[in-house]
Amino acid sequence: MSVRSLRLERWSGQLLSAPRTRTRSRAPCCLRQGQQCLSGSNTRSFSASAVSRNPRIEKEFVDEDGDGIGLFEAPTHPVQQEYPSPSPRAALRSSKLAALHARLGLPQKLPLQTVARTLVDPSADSNVDFNNASLAQLGGSIMSYHVSEWLLVTYPRLPMSVLFAAAYAYNGPKTLQLVAKEWGVDTAAAPGREVDPGYLQFEKLAPGTDYAAIKAAGGSSRPDKFNFFRRGMSSRVVYDDEFGDTIPKKNESALPIPTESAYAGFVKALIGSIHLHAGREAAKVFVKEHILSRQLAIDTLFQFKEPIRELSRLCAREGFEHPMARILSETGRLSRHPVFNVGIFSGKDKLGEGSGASLQEARTRAAVMSLKSWYLYSPGKNERVPSDMEAPGEKAAWEPVHIDIGEVIH
Amino acid sequence: MASRSTCQSLRSSLRQCRPTCEYAGSISSRKSSIRQISATASRLEVDWNADKSERPRWSYTPEEMKAPYPWKPQSAMKSWTTNSDPQKLDRFYVNLLGEGGESVLTDEIKWLAITHKSFDQGRRGFNDRLAFLGRRILTLQANLALVSSSTATQTQTPRNPKDTRARFEHPALNGLKNLSDAPIGEVLTKERLATLAKTMGMAQIMRWQPRMPDKLEASGIDVVLNTCLYAIVGAIALQRGGAYASEVAKQKILKPLGIS
Repeated sequence: MSVRSLRLERWSGQLLSAPRTRTRSRAPCCLRQGQQCLSGSNTRSFSASAVSRNPRIEKEFVDEDGDGIGLFEAPTHPVQQEYPSPSPRAALRSSKLAALHARLGLPQKLPLQTVARTLVDPSADSNVDFNNASLAQLGGSIMSYHVSEWLLVTYPRLPMSVLFAAAYAYNGPKTLQLVAKEWGVDTAAAPGREVDPGYLQFEKLAPGTDYAAIKAAGGSSRPDKFNFFRRGMSSRVVYDDEFGDTIPKKNESALPIPTESAYAGFVKALIGSIHLHAGREAAKVFVKEHILSRQLAIDTLFQFKEPIRELSRLCAREGFEHPMARILSETGRLSRHPVFNVGIFSGKDKLGEGSGASLQEARTRAAVMSLKSWYLYSPGKNERVPSDMEAPGEKAAWEPVHIDIGEVIH
Repeated sequence: MASRSTCQSLRSSLRQCRPTCEYAGSISSRKSSIRQISATASRLEVDWNADKSERPRWSYTPEEMKAPYPWKPQSAMKSWTTNSDPQKLDRFYVNLLGEGGESVLTDEIKWLAITHKSFDQGRRGFNDRLAFLGRRILTLQANLALVSSSTATQTQTPRNPKDTRARFEHPALNGLKNLSDAPIGEVLTKERLATLAKTMGMAQIMRWQPRMPDKLEASGIDVVLNTCLYAIVGAIALQRGGAYASEVAKQKILKPLGIS
């Protein structure tokens, strides 16, 4: 049978004028389309008219009549486009995403498409309308505000270094990674359009990359060209981030990032999206339930260099009598394992006690206990926080909370 | 570990050799509230007016903390005096917070908020913690102002023409692009906030000790100005509540910087 009698060119032309489709899942309706789909799968381009010409097909269909219909015209539908993240419509079809939404009890006002957006890191998709950078910025500031106000109201006397460490323990990247993993969020191996929207998408670091060196190479936002200046605690409030860590100057968002940064960005973005869709109170309740409900042994965050001296300066500053260490009880002084219980007294009040195998050790432990009992003073765990006054219809007047003058400098 | 009977016999024998410690009382006699560190009543800032004979804490260094005599020669170049006049401070607060600004914070906190750690070697307290909270409040209010700003939404940068994807549209997400258009790191810089603080008159009333009194810029006056500005916002939040502090941050700091 000859090609001519079948008039294959015209037949294909009619089919080519059929409505275009963007999805690759549509079955090819003719041999030509099918072969185009197969050959074009390697291209990665954003242009609307991705054309691939298969020379093998061109040879088979020869224009014998010379009508000028010509060699086949490739369809202009952008089947071969490779967008870096799934389309927003795919969010409605993802069961992982719907399950995450339900598992967390997210408000109904929060649409699935926004939740899908919170799972896309800027390293996966640089388009600001499709990644979670802005949402993470907003949500991160909401979360760190609630964490800092809770810490300052619950532990008004914490030293700055411990305050930074406690803030890091509550909402630092490692904690947020734990939280997100507890929620059941998994990472995609690599970002792409075909990835299920319920996966966390970001560009992963190659194994063995020294990320700290990369970050340090860009320099920090501090004007410390000459690194011999000591980076003190006070200046961290102005120069550094909420945990007292230097902020790197170069912020290339397209580069690969560690997994914990991606998870942290997701959690912050989720809080930001709850705030935008469901309001301030919903976001605050979410932070309280998922972040501030975690237990932290804050007394383990302390590290004293000279506790006896520090305690003596504290008593001098507060007007207490000079601290005296006295043995409360002891046993086995001349044996191999003595135990001394030492108490530190300011006048008749016992500030703290400690026990140790030597007098010096017991006195040091007692001083540490005394300082911790001072710095860990707490009016209670469920005190009112300043943001309670921002709730609509809050009628009760605000009672000023205890403000401490600062830790002892010695 | 020695048994109880051994302990008792050891203790009794020790008691015979050493004078008894009169404070080694039983644990049960200890007060139940473990938070009390002293039998004296805790100082409440609001009660200062009742006790007029005591000087306010902000005005003096505790005698116990001072050395008996200064053992370094006082260099004329390093001498630096700060404000100690309560009325001058009140005028600053009225200028900043409007009518009645001097009674927004209690006396001690008014001074604490503008006292840097370098002042008096930190013996009279400092505003680090207040500045920590104040900065969080300011950053949050700046982000919220940008997201809800209608002028910024109208003047958003156009999208990339090569990327023709249709984004998910929702009225709640309209203002998000403002956050990427105007990065906070370029809007709330140390220099801009320091300039604003100087126009408020902060440099004349804040208490600090510059490393080189003749070169204030090199001594880091900008950082100290920023800290004091943040600390005032933080102090208002803890003494007057978050709503009041947010308003002050929005009206007195963000609005002059052009974020509303």
